[in-house]
Amino acid sequence: MSLRTTPFHPRTGPLSEGQAWRRWAGYVVASSYELSHDREYHAIRNSAALFDVSPLYKYLVTGRDAARLLDHVVTRNVGKAKVGQVLYTPWCDNEGKQIDDGTISVLGDQTYRMTSADPTLRWLHLNASGLDVKIQDVSESTAALSLQGPRSREILQLAAERDLSSLKYFRLTSAKIRGIPVTISRTGYTGDLGYEVWVDAAQAVPLWDAIAETGAPYGITPAGMLALDVARIEAGLLLIAVDYFSSRHALIESQKSSPLELGLGWTVATDKERYNGQAALAAEGKRGPAWQFTGLTVDWDSLEQLYADVGLPPRLPSQAWRTSVPIYDRGGHKQLGYATSGGWSPLLKRYMALAHLGSAHAEPGTEVRMEVTVEHRRRQAKAHVTALPFFNPERKRG
Amino acid sequence: MKQYDAIVIGGGHNGLVTAAYLARAGKSVLVLERRPRVGGAAVTEEIFPGFKFTMFSYVVSLLRPEIIRDLDLPRHGLHILPLESTVTPMENGDYLAGWADHDETRRELYRHSPRDAEAYDEYGRLMHFMAQAVKPILGMVPPDPTSFAPGDLAGLLKLGKHFRGLGAERLHALVKLMTMSSADFLDEWFETDVLKATKSASGIIGTFLGPRSPGTAYVLLHHYMGELDGVFRAWGFAKGGTGAVSEAIASAARSFGAEIRCDAGVSKVLVRTGRATGVVLENGDELPAGIVVSSLDPRRTFLQLLEPEHLPSHLVADIKRFKFRGSSGKVNLALDALPSFTCMPGVGRQHRGAISISPSLDYVERAYDDAKYGEFSRRPYMDIVFPSMIDPGMAPPGKHVMSIFVQYAPYNLNGGWTDAKREAFGDAVVNTVESFAPGFKSQILHRQVITPLDIERITGLSEGNIFAGELALHQLFFLRPAPGWAKFATPVRGFFQCGSGTHPGGGIMGASGRLAAMRILKDGK
Amino acid sequence: MSYDALVIGAGANGLVTAHYLARAGKHVLVVEQRHAADPSADIGWVPDVVIRDLGLARAGLRIEQPDPWITVPLAGGRGGGGTLELSRDIGRSVEAIRHISPSDAAKWPEFCNRMRTLAGVLERLYLVPPPDIESTDARELARIAGLGLYVRRRGKQTVIDLARILPMSITELLDDWFESDVLKGLLGALGIWHLKQGPRAGGTAFNFLHHHAGSPAGVFRPPRSNVTQALSALPGVEVRHGERANVLAPNGRATGVVLEKSGEEILAPLVVSSADPRSTLQPVAIELDPEFGRAVDNIKARGVVARGTLTLESTPAYSTLCIAPSLDYLEHAYDDAKYGRDSATPYVEVQKTDGRLELHVQYVPYTDGAANVQRHQALQLRVAQVLGAQPSQVKLHSPDEEELQHGSTEGHLYHGELTLDQILFMRPVPGWSRYRTPIEGLYLCGSGTHPGGGIPGAAGRNAAREML
Ligand SMILES: Cc1cc2nc3c(=O)[nH]c(=O)nc-3n(C[C@H](O)[C@H](O)[C@H](O)COP(=O)(O)OP(=O)(O)OC[C@H]3O[C@@H](n4cnc5c(N)ncnc54)[C@H](O)[C@@H]3O)c2cc1C
Ligand SMILES: Cc1cc2nc3c(=O)[nH]c(=O)nc-3n(C[C@H](O)[C@H](O)[C@H](O)COP(=O)(O)OP(=O)(O)OC[C@H]3O[C@@H](n4cnc5c(N)ncnc54)[C@H](O)[C@@H]3O)c2cc1C
Repeated sequence: MSLRTTPFHPRTGPLSEGQAWRRWAGYVVASSYELSHDREYHAIRNSAALFDVSPLYKYLVTGRDAARLLDHVVTRNVGKAKVGQVLYTPWCDNEGKQIDDGTISVLGDQTYRMTSADPTLRWLHLNASGLDVKIQDVSESTAALSLQGPRSREILQLAAERDLSSLKYFRLTSAKIRGIPVTISRTGYTGDLGYEVWVDAAQAVPLWDAIAETGAPYGITPAGMLALDVARIEAGLLLIAVDYFSSRHALIESQKSSPLELGLGWTVATDKERYNGQAALAAEGKRGPAWQFTGLTVDWDSLEQLYADVGLPPRLPSQAWRTSVPIYDRGGHKQLGYATSGGWSPLLKRYMALAHLGSAHAEPGTEVRMEVTVEHRRRQAKAHVTALPFFNPERKRG
Repeated sequence: MKQYDAIVIGGGHNGLVTAAYLARAGKSVLVLERRPRVGGAAVTEEIFPGFKFTMFSYVVSLLRPEIIRDLDLPRHGLHILPLESTVTPMENGDYLAGWADHDETRRELYRHSPRDAEAYDEYGRLMHFMAQAVKPILGMVPPDPTSFAPGDLAGLLKLGKHFRGLGAERLHALVKLMTMSSADFLDEWFETDVLKATKSASGIIGTFLGPRSPGTAYVLLHHYMGELDGVFRAWGFAKGGTGAVSEAIASAARSFGAEIRCDAGVSKVLVRTGRATGVVLENGDELPAGIVVSSLDPRRTFLQLLEPEHLPSHLVADIKRFKFRGSSGKVNLALDALPSFTCMPGVGRQHRGAISISPSLDYVERAYDDAKYGEFSRRPYMDIVFPSMIDPGMAPPGKHVMSIFVQYAPYNLNGGWTDAKREAFGDAVVNTVESFAPGFKSQILHRQVITPLDIERITGLSEGNIFAGELALHQLFFLRPAPGWAKFATPVRGFFQCGSGTHPGGGIMGASGRLAAMRILKDGK
Repeated sequence: MSYDALVIGAGANGLVTAHYLARAGKHVLVVEQRHAADPSADIGWVPDVVIRDLGLARAGLRIEQPDPWITVPLAGGRGGGGTLELSRDIGRSVEAIRHISPSDAAKWPEFCNRMRTLAGVLERLYLVPPPDIESTDARELARIAGLGLYVRRRGKQTVIDLARILPMSITELLDDWFESDVLKGLLGALGIWHLKQGPRAGGTAFNFLHHHAGSPAGVFRPPRSNVTQALSALPGVEVRHGERANVLAPNGRATGVVLEKSGEEILAPLVVSSADPRSTLQPVAIELDPEFGRAVDNIKARGVVARGTLTLESTPAYSTLCIAPSLDYLEHAYDDAKYGRDSATPYVEVQKTDGRLELHVQYVPYTDGAANVQRHQALQLRVAQVLGAQPSQVKLHSPDEEELQHGSTEGHLYHGELTLDQILFMRPVPGWSRYRTPIEGLYLCGSGTHPGGGIPGAAGRNAAREML
């Protein structure tokens, strides 16, 4: 038995040079295919990186009350979305604390596909009491590839034999790639130009081959989770169980966050009927959230100095990290919050982190201190609050 | 003759824990055990050459971690190995499995019900909280709500605060657990019958109740408490069987200077002017002691070791009313080879975990119906482990031992237990296993069948109740064993109780023994 | 027409709430799905304060307190072995019991007193909203402390009895006291009323005491009355019959009701439902926190009682005939229900009120809300056999039929079982025991709320007082 492999495994398996795998939602996926993830990262920003994102949970919601159900669950206005639109949205419990985030694709009139990071079937059913709606778990039957990077459009246009320039950011279209019916959405988790291709799991391998072969002359590079992690921090994108805890998994109240505290205020609809958490979010909005989710840029000179103090050149994390790190005020005494992800951006040449800061201290430009460990000793490096995202190329939306 | 500070009657694990703590505090302590060996219901015996049986209890999880640390039990040989899984064979040839790996378990549950797979995580979290909520109570001397003494009022207040501190949601869940049947409680979470059956089975263990009887949800929780503290995962198996747990505690007690005397049954506690002064052995010897502690169940402690005139009459009435109603039996087998189950053929990791014979709620409920009317279950609920798969030292190389915990076998069987009835009971067990693992019977080399009457005869546990008194709501906390006498003391000064019949109750937990020792030491100050 | 308050359901509790609201100056409309009031008697203690507050005595309230309060055929069956009759006078009952067990007879007075004391504690709890154990409000805490003190003043034994007896099974309780199967059977039957549990189930001792509340020592069957009729006769509130109503609650606020047949909407700022919580709240589930919705779905309301009537040629002498010859008889009857079958030998009670003979038959488990003619006839036959009557003389109404006809969830006449996890602050759902709902302006006042079924008017009065 052991762990499940994704429908692309016949292709991704042999590509793995170091057998570096990690778990994602009960599947094994590549941490990196090559021995180091550097080249895979650069492909995201330079050519095109191909990710296997099949482990995402996917649900097909259909029926007369499909939109009503989703509107009851998520914070964005699903009823207003048009066919072909994709919404990124969080969803909350009744106290307005975030449970998860994901996307909702409007596939047709009364047909929606929802993706999530955690299993969500039961929650959807709990919310569907009395509604005329069908909820199908299509996680296993639907495979997905994510093609991200400046050349992703060229590759996909060739593969699909059609122009994709009119497919706008967060829109989707159906297409055929070498005769395989797919849905292409202009979405991704890298903050770059990119697409996700959704396909029936049975057709996964030929789809992989089609895209990989078409992309070869354009430098298409299969990439793993390590490269993705750096890119998503640059893009300022949240990761559940790292940057926030699902309110349904939190063990104590203080582990919960609201969308407003996570920089997702823009997703909280004010123009729809009652939904889970609405009243609490409205009240919080009026009050102002206690926390903000922001970027931090660690001051290079400060870091260099800390290492110089012990006679070493500065050391940088070789991978993105996912631990909780205290953030202090400039005096170094009062704790203002904590960072939850961080790492070196090979593109921006800076040490970035994602952090939760008390609202009073989250203004971009605010100087703070981040704890770093230098030769077994705790030190504090200077850092500045930086608006998210760190990296936001024109081509993402253009 | 040596005058001991304390004599502990009974060398079960609770008596040994009490003795160890008293000795650790500098008291001179003597443990008197009726049998040739210590352990009581936690013993390992080589009944057939080369085959070591965990005669009665077989898995550990409830053993309080503070006892393991305080007595440094690993140094005395305690080694608890994880039990990896639970597999429930179903009557249609399918199975339900819970594996050590979360993702794998989720996937397995998903096969039965996608919704249950998700509910399972939330349920697990809730039970974790509930166990945590109850944990402080396990380590607390129950306050007496009928008393106006400042200590009791303070205790009640503390308890009230603790519960209110849980928050509404958890408080309500706790009320439900205290009052509901395990089937009803699980119904609120799951739809898969076999999952509910297997989970609810831990709610019936040691009770004369079925999964649909209110009160079983509490027993479910009682069995969840071992999943706490992260040290051991769920249930574990002690290397050498549960007898090794007793041996480790005995060794710790001796290292603190306690003496342990086996083949030394106690017939009476000596009482002079309302005060215990020592004990009389079954052979007539009198041994004096400053205090006497009994680890026997409440019926023996109050009605056998003492004369009625030493006790207020309402206490005698309360103890007479205390419910035992043993309902469990045990079948231990020596095997030539491991059985192959229809649902998961061959030999594999399923043999390193528990096999639960609880294919449906109705199956378990029917097993109870038989017992309700005085018969043993024709198709009983069983919890099976293969100790030799976890600790190869339990059987000769290549051979195996199989431990089958069985319910229901009522102590008060219609017509009473006889040798023939015992064998018929053994046959029912073996035949039921055979129905899930054809060919199994031919692998049996030796068999030992233990009825509740045998449990009573061997360990002294009245009516063979495995918890020294049912874990029913009206026999818990300040009502265990009787209102007013739940704080380990007795109406006879210098005579204390420390067995599973006191708060917090049965299982290889040691909590009663430890709390009693604390109470005695505090009294002595 | 505009109303200050709408009440769904013209049962005892709905009407009591309506009249309390009306007396506080509100303009109230009651909407009832039935075309006319149900002619059957109301079973249960009608609290004195309700009678006084609403002047029910003047409105023709009749409470029957039959003496002897129960008649049980003795072995030999159908009168062959004589009968056991228990009376309101404890001494007379002692004499009667002496014929079957001198030892039980000796214990009867003490048993009656102990039970009366405990029921007294319940009575006190029942005429006020349940204690809110999560509250941090000083007044509520003082009230809880007051209740605690009240109990302790009844003496040490009362505290111990409460803690010991409430979670017990009625079998354990009765085995502690008595030896006679007949006596234990007739008492045990009260412990299983409207529960999908047998007499060996924990909590049935509580259910026994619940139904003892309001009765004098030594009487273990609640009184019967025409309280719903009396309430219907009372002026002051408008009742619309023959209309099934559903709550309107756009955006989480109750605005009125919509009538199922015509679709007519009637608006009012306050909506109170005496229908069962599940059927009230499920249609507006979309307005609820899903966790609350789940709690509502989880209310156990597994109907197990068929009600009906018996028509005999001549009026029998007994007031209440109980066929429950032993606790094992009841347990066997329950065994069938566990596996979804009607009891092969059901517990049957005949209650004579105003000359009408009404039947209580248990267990007839709710299955799927469908009518099943074959099953119905088989049950009729069995009940007739148990009573020694003709099947044609027995008319029955099963839980399935009750749900089918009146939409009451699983045909449970108490709108939710009275098990320990569904009483006091856990009723109707944990944390929402104060008659409110998460829907602003929507209240509950029926048997599904504290103190539950079998005490007509208590929930209605408590609810009205919370609203006012
Ligand atoms: C069949 C069975 C299976 C069980 N399975 C499990 C399990 O898997 N996991 C678990 O945690 N728990 C299990 N239990 C429960 C657990 O074993 C007991 O609750 C626990 O061992 C009781 O310990 P104790 O020290 O309180 O009492 P006991 O172990 O009963 O100790 C009492 C001791 O006193 C001795 N004694 C009796 N009378 C006298 C006398 N007059 N003089 C001197 N000595 C006397 C007895 O011989 C015995 O050694 C099981 C019990 C049984 C019977
Ligand atoms: C047929 C029947 C038999 C009973 N038998 C017994 C018995 O044997 N023993 C016993 O102790 N108690 C019995 N009761 C219950 C007892 O009368 C009540 O439990 C109690 O007295 C208080 O009733 P209530 O007002 O809370 O609820 P109910 O008496 O159930 O009143 C609720 C009322 O609301 C109406 N209603 C429900 N939904 C709607 C809707 N959507 N729109 C409009 N109207 C609606 C119902 O028709 C009903 O009249 C019985 C009740 C009924 C209806």
